[in-house]
Order: sequence, then structure tokens, then C-alpha cells
Amino acid sequence: MESETMVMPYYKVNVLTGTKAAKVIADPAEGAAIIDRAKNPLYIFGPEVIATPVGDKLLIDYALKIAKARDIPICATAHVKKKMLEQGVVPDSTYDIIEIIHFLKDKEWSGVRGKGYHDLVLFTGVRCDLAERGLATLKHFAPHLKTYAICRRSHPNADFALPVIVKEEKWRDYLAGLIGALGAFKS
Amino acid sequence: MQKMRDAEIKAIIRAEDAWEPVGPTPMPTLTELRNWDFRLLNTYEPFYAPFCDLCCLCTYGKCDLTGNKKGACGIDIASQQARWILICSLMGTAAHGAHGRHMIDHLIEKLGEDKKIDLGSQVNVEAPIIRTVMGLKPKTLGDLRKAIEYVEREMIHLVSATHMGQEGDYRDFESKAFHAGMLDHVALEAADIAQIVGYGLPTSVADTPLVDLGWGAIDRTKPTIVVVGHNAVTANAIIDYLRSNDLYDQVEVGGLCCTAHDVTRYAGGAKVIGPLSRQRFFLKAGLADVVVTDEQCVVTDIPQLAKAAGAAMIACSDKICYGLENASARETGEILRAVLEEQKQFLILDPEKAAEVIVRAALELAPKRRAQKQLVTKEEGAMLAAKCRGTCEECNRVCPNLLPVSLGVSQARHGNFAKLGELFMRCHGCAKCEEACVNHIPILRLMQAAATWETYKMRSGRGPIHDVEIRKVGSPIVLGTIPGVVLFAGCSNFPGDIDDLAWLAEELARRKFIVTLSGCAAMAAAMSKDAEGKTIYEKYIPEFDAGCIVNVGSCVSNAHVVGAAIKIANIFAGLPNRANFELMSDYILNRVGACGVVWGPYSQKALAIGTGAVRWGIPIVLGPHGSKYRRLFMSKKEAGDWTVVDGRTRQLVDTAEPTPEHMMLVTETKERALVTIIKQCFRRNDTPPGRAIKLNSYISAYKQVIGGLPDDLQNFIRTEKEIPIVYKREVLAYLKEAGWQPKPVLSLPTIIGTYETKVPIEATIK
Repeated sequence: MESETMVMPYYKVNVLTGTKAAKVIADPAEGAAIIDRAKNPLYIFGPEVIATPVGDKLLIDYALKIAKARDIPICATAHVKKKMLEQGVVPDSTYDIIEIIHFLKDKEWSGVRGKGYHDLVLFTGVRCDLAERGLATLKHFAPHLKTYAICRRSHPNADFALPVIVKEEKWRDYLAGLIGALGAFKS
Repeated sequence: MQKMRDAEIKAIIRAEDAWEPVGPTPMPTLTELRNWDFRLLNTYEPFYAPFCDLCCLCTYGKCDLTGNKKGACGIDIASQQARWILICSLMGTAAHGAHGRHMIDHLIEKLGEDKKIDLGSQVNVEAPIIRTVMGLKPKTLGDLRKAIEYVEREMIHLVSATHMGQEGDYRDFESKAFHAGMLDHVALEAADIAQIVGYGLPTSVADTPLVDLGWGAIDRTKPTIVVVGHNAVTANAIIDYLRSNDLYDQVEVGGLCCTAHDVTRYAGGAKVIGPLSRQRFFLKAGLADVVVTDEQCVVTDIPQLAKAAGAAMIACSDKICYGLENASARETGEILRAVLEEQKQFLILDPEKAAEVIVRAALELAPKRRAQKQLVTKEEGAMLAAKCRGTCEECNRVCPNLLPVSLGVSQARHGNFAKLGELFMRCHGCAKCEEACVNHIPILRLMQAAATWETYKMRSGRGPIHDVEIRKVGSPIVLGTIPGVVLFAGCSNFPGDIDDLAWLAEELARRKFIVTLSGCAAMAAAMSKDAEGKTIYEKYIPEFDAGCIVNVGSCVSNAHVVGAAIKIANIFAGLPNRANFELMSDYILNRVGACGVVWGPYSQKALAIGTGAVRWGIPIVLGPHGSKYRRLFMSKKEAGDWTVVDGRTRQLVDTAEPTPEHMMLVTETKERALVTIIKQCFRRNDTPPGRAIKLNSYISAYKQVIGGLPDDLQNFIRTEKEIPIVYKREVLAYLKEAGWQPKPVLSLPTIIGTYETKVPIEATIK
């Protein structure tokens, strides 16, 4: 599938009012290449990663695989940390969603691992209307970074977003495809 | 000009009254508190989340503001967001101000402008906000009118600043929004004092009655009048008419939104049907024989809803006329005939006349409407849902609370209403799902078959906090040994279940916070029962004290919680409040561990209340819907500048301590809200034992809901003495790893002296 400019997200409360919309990344391999190209990415986990099943797994299982595949630091917002600790994973940061976005606006911020600003920020599992507002903040006030909303409800204010994926099997396939394709660009 | 204005102010506030010397800022204008505002904004930067890439406000546009682009007028994206915030704050302030103006004018007409303000034996500082902002000690209803006139005077300048080609800097827009918010609080206080005095509402009493709440509380066999909105003038006139005609026990009067609070303060037999989110659901259920609207937060299609339900409908406010004929000058009998025989709806601006029409219409209509009060049964519900296959998801896509409506409806089709019942508890009642349904399923009506019809007990609003309560808790609050005062305010479009608020209130009360509630939030907190069937209002003592839970009343009663914070500075600490806004706010910011929570913001009034609170130095925690207001106030946490003046030595001291950490932020889940609220109550003035108690609450809550130790403890522990004993070993190990260094503990921290102000540092010390 070719990338195209976004038209309508799943939730109409998130419809774009404006001029600058996300590029739709329908092919997970293209999404993997975006992640591969990033020099200092960050992955933000919202609370839906610990509450949303995808097939016989939880969304967090896929998100963790994406993060581990490229050693991407994780910011566990809301109360996600508790589930991560149960799985033996310690998040790199526990800022809440608005706090981490506030810091991401600042190009001089040292980043969660002290390596300087993050040039790509991935989002999964943040409540869709809140995520959209945060993505709007970064679109307008953080020109030094790109955002990629790995969410099947689609996000017009991200730089890169998925198309609306209604069926759970297709969502699982997208996530699996993304995980499978990571690393291909650099290799 | 300035001399003339000074003389005018002196006359308005009776400067010669000797209760306190007049401070530096009597009746401040737009720019007089600007330096204070900028000082706050230096630490707490505005955070913007634009709704729209464009500005569409004038015919130069539409203007694209993405990237570094500016509008044709020169405005940039940040200033445009700040302008919207000012506009929305002004809407909220105008709503409360107009409410106050109407209430006060009405009561002056009835009782005279010399009607004395007397809030009972427990309340001597009757109007802490008006005293502080204006420098006026109001003695009569006429003085309260002066307060509203001040609000009106300032608002014309603020509205003017939003015009194209006026204000052009986001910080100045925010300063003006703070001004609007502060004016909002003046209006709130004036309005509530007026109705307490004019209607004899409870005051100087903590243990107010428990009242019935819930749509199930309505006795369907009686004629039923439902009052909707936020201004109880007509609702109280209805009660008066019922009482004077011996009908009080024969007619049900129920309220939706804040009028419900105020009418139950006036008449214990009235019922609270529920918050804003239940308006459309209840009206569609057809249980009301007459629907009465006053003002603010009334769903706009009420005339159509009433007509569809076969109910009569009377509008009673000049703010909401709905295109109806104004029948205020017509004979009562003539109006009644048109209501009953032609099903005509009217605007009646005379409360007494409206009351008579409403009651007589209800008595006539009720026997004829019995069939229309039958609720949808489960069998009928399954029929209504029969066409849903649960596959198109159009209803889900339009839901502003992102609920899986289609799942609930498609299960109802098979007679299983459990999921729909769950969704009902999270439903905003907007009915967008019905509009979107391709099969035209009446989803809100369908919910009648799924909704719980349980009744709950809510303590009726008690109005002002008592001076004696302030004397008792002032010291432990300022020392930090009472860990905080929390106000839950705002509307009920919560992100999660409606019992989120009851959970938060109880978690805090268990940890010995003083918990206060108001408005629709106070109602929603009642809509949850424990295993013994009790609500929080039945379980907790209704005093302003540690571990207690207090319902102050309707939205206008929010003033009393801000007022309590001022009273701590004034009554407990003995600092003069007359025309001394900065002194009071500096005290609150540095020494009073107070936090406002607007978990389900909706109205612009909620925004104005929250924005005003920030100017007073009270941080606000919002639920996720709060992000749609597009502006927050966030610090850089440990990387920020936390320098204050030590009032004892007059030296600048870098406290290296981010407290309060933010002034307005959104949290996504109730779990995160809990730990954030606790943290927002930390203050620089906390003594080591006080901070230890606060840290104990923070760590215990964090471990309970998030897991492990908080990873910012190093920011808030100043000395080892502050580490709670139960966590000592674990925290010490953590601090060592985090490279923690001790921080100074100040007993008189102030930001007066860190910016240009007329307030001398000496003023911060009694």
C-alpha cells in the first residue's frame, strides 16, 4: 500500500482542523524503516497497553518487542509501570504523558538516557483524545522531532500514523509486521 | 484620570472603614497584578495543545499558523491559543457574574439593598475573596452588587483585548485570563453569599442533611417538576408556591446540575436527579411533567426533548430564550391554557408567575401522562436493538468518551444488558451515538432498560467554611501535618467510571487529607456505594478537618474553598487581606497545601474557576478531557529555578525543590491522579515532620497504584529526618543511588522580593 495523507481518524473527536496532517504508514515495513533511521528514539507507553488484548496477548507484549528490537528507551505513563515491573522490565522513565511531552518540546533537554533530544517519538496505548492533543503540541512546538503514533485508531496530528484498522487480526498483523521488519533498514 | 479612579475606589470600598488598612491593590485593573502573573509564568510555563492549526476569527483569514507562520494580523500559534483561553475564561466568568447579577438584583428587589449579610455565629470573615481582591468588607446585599459591578467593569476591558489587533503576546493573554479567573471567584462569592442571605440557606452548620440523589429517587406517582441549570431563583419560587398552597408533599421537585444543589439547600424535600451528564437521559425517560430551565450548562435542545416526551416546558432566564414567546406580561390562566391545550412552551421571566404556571401545569398534566412515564423494559429494549449487528461501529466513532457503544447495543439485542449498563455509568449523555446510528436505534432510551435506578445519599451543600474550623486546622495545614486540602470541582464527563471521584475522595480522606467537593463533581461522588450500601457522605464526617469529606454546594460555592485558603493566611497567620492579593496568594502558594481537581471538566465556567485558582497559588489537576482546553501550566521540575526569599534572613535561597511542581496539568488515569494530587500538596513551608507525613502518603499511594518507589523522591526529601520511618532503609538506598543532596528547609519562604512588587518583604512576616 502506498502512503497517503490522512483523511479521517477512527474517533471523530480527533478529526483534523487544519493544514498539516500525518503521513499514513500503511505498510509496517515502511514504519520499521522510520524507526530504524532514528538516531535517538523514545517509546511512550500509555495505559491502554496494559488493558487491551491483541489476540491472545496484551498490547504491551508487542510494544515491548518493538522497544527491545531497537533498544528504544521506554517512558511508562499513567500506571503502566506496575505491569512492566511484574514482567521484569524497568521503564527508563515514568513521567506522565503531559510531563514527557512538555520535556520533549525542549530541544536542549537531555532525554531519558542523557543522550540529548529524541528525534523520533513513538506512541502506543495513550487514550486517543489525549494522545491527539499531545501530538498537536509536538507538531507545533517541537520541530526538532518526528512523531509516529502506533495506534490503530489513527492520529492526524502525528507526523506518521497508521490507517484506521478496525479488525483486530489486521492490527495484530501490523504489529507483527513492524516487529519483523525492524533492523532491515540498517542491515 | 488615576486620581479620579482612586477617589472612586475609596468611596466604593469605604476606605475609611477601619477593619484593616487598605493594601496595595484595591480593585485591581488589568495590569496591576501583571508582575505577579509573570512571576508565576516564569516558573510555570504555559503548555499549549492546539485544537486547530488555523485562526478563523476575522475576515483576514483563515490563517494557517503551523510552523513559524503568523496570521495576517501578526498573531502566532501560542498567542492564538492564549487568546482562546482568555475568551473561554471570560465566558465562564460572565456566566457566574451574570448569575450573581441576576440573583442579587432579584433579592434586592425583594428584600432591599440594605439587607444585612449575616453568615451566622461561625463565620465572621464573611467574604475573604471580595475583601482580598476589592478591599471591601461587604455588609449588605447592596455591597455585593458593588462586587458584581467591579467584575462587569473589568470584563469590558478583557473582552476588548481579544479583538483582532489588540493583545499580541501569549503571556499577557494568560495574565488577562488570570484576571478573568480571579473576577470569576469574586462573582462566585457574591452570588453564594447573596443566596445564603436572601433565601436563608444553611450557614455556620457543618452537619447539613443527607438528601436523595438519583433518577430512582423520583416518585413517579406524583406530579413531577424538573429544574435544570444553575440559578435557583425560579426553583425556590416553585418551592414557595408549593408551601403556600399546601402542595409541598404532593409534588416532586427534582434538579439536574447545580440548581439541584441550591434547591436542596433551600428545601430538604427536593431531590437531586443527577449531574449534567444525566440531563438528556432523564428527559428522554419522560418522568418530568414540567421541565424548567434557568441558566448555564443546560442542554440546548431541551424544548425538543420536552416536546418529544409530552412534557410542558418553561424557560426562565433571559440567557436562554430558545426562540420562545415571552409570556411574562400575560395572565397566568391564559398562559396555562396555552400550555395545556396547545402544548405551547413559554419564556417567563417573572419567577413567581412562572412558579404558579409550572406547578398548576404539573398538577394538570401528571394524571394524563401516566402512560408516558413507563420505562423501557428489557424485552422492549431487545426489540429496539434488534437491527444492530455490532459491526459498523459508527456509534463508537462519534462517542466523545471513546466508549464501545456498539458492543453494548449489540449485546442488548440478545437480551444481555450488562455491558450497556456499564457504559451508562461512563456515558456523557450527548446522544451523538443515536445521531450516528444507521439503524436509528434510540440508544439513550435503550439505556433505560440497562441503567441502575438506585438512589444515593448526598450531603446537601454547607456553604462557607467556619472560622473556628480554620483556627483548628490552620497550624497543621501550614506545618504540613495535615497533608493537604483538596477540592473536587467541575462537571461529570469523567474519562472512566463515574465512581472515579468517590474512589479518589476516599483514598485521600483515608490518608487524612481534608476533602471538599462542589457542583456536579459532588453529585458524581455520591453515585457509588460500598459493600454496606453507604456513600462517602454517609461514611465521613462533614467537617473541614483531617480525614473528613465536605460538600460545599453548587458551582458558586467553590468560592468557599478558595476563601478557606485565604482565611488560613488571614485568620490563622494574622496577615492582613484587605486589598492584598499578592500577599495572600504568596502565602497560599508557599504555605497552604491546597490542590483543586477538575476530573471531568466540560464548561467554560470550570476553566474560569481553575484559571482563577492558579492566580491564587492553588495548583489544579485535570482529567484527560482537560487537555481539550489546550493550555496547562508546567514547570521544568528539578531543572527549573526554585529560588525564593527566606523571609527571616531576607536572602535569596535556591531551594532546589520543585514545589508545587506544576500549576495545571492533565493526568490520564485515576491512579496517576491520586499520586499527583498528593504531590501537588507539598509546600516549601512544610516542616520536616509535616513533609515526612506527606511523603508517607506519596510513597504509600505510589506503591499501591503505580509500583515501586517514586523516581523523583530526591526532589522532595530535604533532610533525612523527612524520610518516613516505615520506608527508611529502602528510600536511603534509593537516594544514594540517585546522588541525593540535602536541601535547605525554610520556615518563611516567599516569592515576594523575587520580582518587582509594591508588597514589601516585611509584609510577609506578622
